[in-house]
Amino acid sequence: MADVLVQAERVEKFFGPNKILDGVSFTVTRGETVVLIGSSGSGKTTLLRCINHLEKIEAGRITVNGFLIGYRDRRGVLIEDRERNIARQRRDVGMVFQRFNLFANLSALDNIILAPMRVRGENRAVATERAMRLLARVGLAEKARNFPASLSGGQQQRVAIARALAMEPAVMLFDEPTSALDPEMVGEVLAVMRGLAQDGMTMMIVTHEMGFARQVADRIIVMDQGRIVEDGPPERLFNAPTHPKTRTLLAVRH
Amino acid sequence: MHFDWPYFWHQLLEPDGAFIQGLWLTILISVGGQVIGLVIGLPMALARRSASVFLMWPARFYIFLMRGTPLLVQIVFIYTGLAAAGILRFHDFIAGPFTISGNVQAGILALGLNEGAYMAEIFRAGIDAVDRGQTEAAKSLGMVPGQILRFVVLPQALRIILLPIGNQFNIMLKNSTLVSVIGVSEMLLVTETINSATFRTFELYSVLALYFLVLTSIWGGVMRYVEWRMDRGAARGDTAVIGTLQGEHI
Repeated sequence: MADVLVQAERVEKFFGPNKILDGVSFTVTRGETVVLIGSSGSGKTTLLRCINHLEKIEAGRITVNGFLIGYRDRRGVLIEDRERNIARQRRDVGMVFQRFNLFANLSALDNIILAPMRVRGENRAVATERAMRLLARVGLAEKARNFPASLSGGQQQRVAIARALAMEPAVMLFDEPTSALDPEMVGEVLAVMRGLAQDGMTMMIVTHEMGFARQVADRIIVMDQGRIVEDGPPERLFNAPTHPKTRTLLAVRH
Repeated sequence: MHFDWPYFWHQLLEPDGAFIQGLWLTILISVGGQVIGLVIGLPMALARRSASVFLMWPARFYIFLMRGTPLLVQIVFIYTGLAAAGILRFHDFIAGPFTISGNVQAGILALGLNEGAYMAEIFRAGIDAVDRGQTEAAKSLGMVPGQILRFVVLPQALRIILLPIGNQFNIMLKNSTLVSVIGVSEMLLVTETINSATFRTFELYSVLALYFLVLTSIWGGVMRYVEWRMDRGAARGDTAVIGTLQGEHI
């Protein structure tokens, strides 16, 4: 089997009595770009958040790079891990949020260098050098000193991507990264993501941008009511969807 | 009605040495009480928000106790009550030329303990007011709770609670008069003493009121300056003014 980076096995997740994830299993291999689609409430965002343990899971297991996320295996029983260990596991998993979540009290540059300095113990010069390179890559080198409140949504999201990349994660998770953006800013964020995919970054993306999914995804996973109902390359899903949900979601226009 | 204007002006502009000492004591007690309140307030707020019942319940109880009983009772209880029970007696503290008498220590402690409960609630509200997404983003970068609090949540919470804290200090300045009941010669007790010798009650208490108005007005000016700086910062999109006020940098 190819180089498996993220693996989920029979993951179950409840919010109260509601089953949000119902036995979800998938693998993501290194360098792959996987797009998750599904109508709202289908569990795609929750699934993404389980991968860096922002959500607990009730059953199943998730591994990144072979390491169990969020839990310790004690003779087959999974026990939630200590906060410090979970924090360590999260270094490998970058995340980009729908609402950007840039630290409001820090400039763009300081947003990017905070975790490398405080979590990885890098000195300021090294962290700043990489941060400036990343800002240039997302086209915002001249905005390094700006605070989030003075950046547009698209600019904030690009800084947020640079911030996640600064930790040099093995996989990047994108949770509807363009859903909170004005239409004219969607393109600039998607362009950055497209560049990452071309550079071989492993990515999992929850999005409603079907055109983007078709172009960039190596695989599309379709979710419905907490289950994966279809999982395959975009050509097949767009041309020959097997599940009715896929058909409606992709709104196949022939 | 007779109002002794010359006496009034004399007391206002050239007050007794004892009154000036009382003024300094009022300031010392208020600042001391506020500092203790701040020092207690933050850990108490964190304990109150903690998932651990061993932290949460004691904090809840402390806040319940301090906010549910009169400050005046707390002051008497801490100075007189504890001593009477043989639990704790406050002794004069002498450091070179300075002496902090036992009742002053007790007064500062009582004001501080009481203030700590209110500070805890203010800190808690401020921390809760910071968007959850900020914490999630910090978590996703591998930061541990202490780092998230120090570098992300607290700087933003402080900005939110700065003005409520300022209001609390205004209240503290005025509440400091309550320690007169345990014999601390702050401005109120000095005024009472002078009054018992002169019986110029109306004039003396007018002067006392004016001195408090001056104190609270000066403090109000300080708060307006801080607010102005924050607004100016916000206009630039710089919400890190608190950071620069603290001299805190990542």
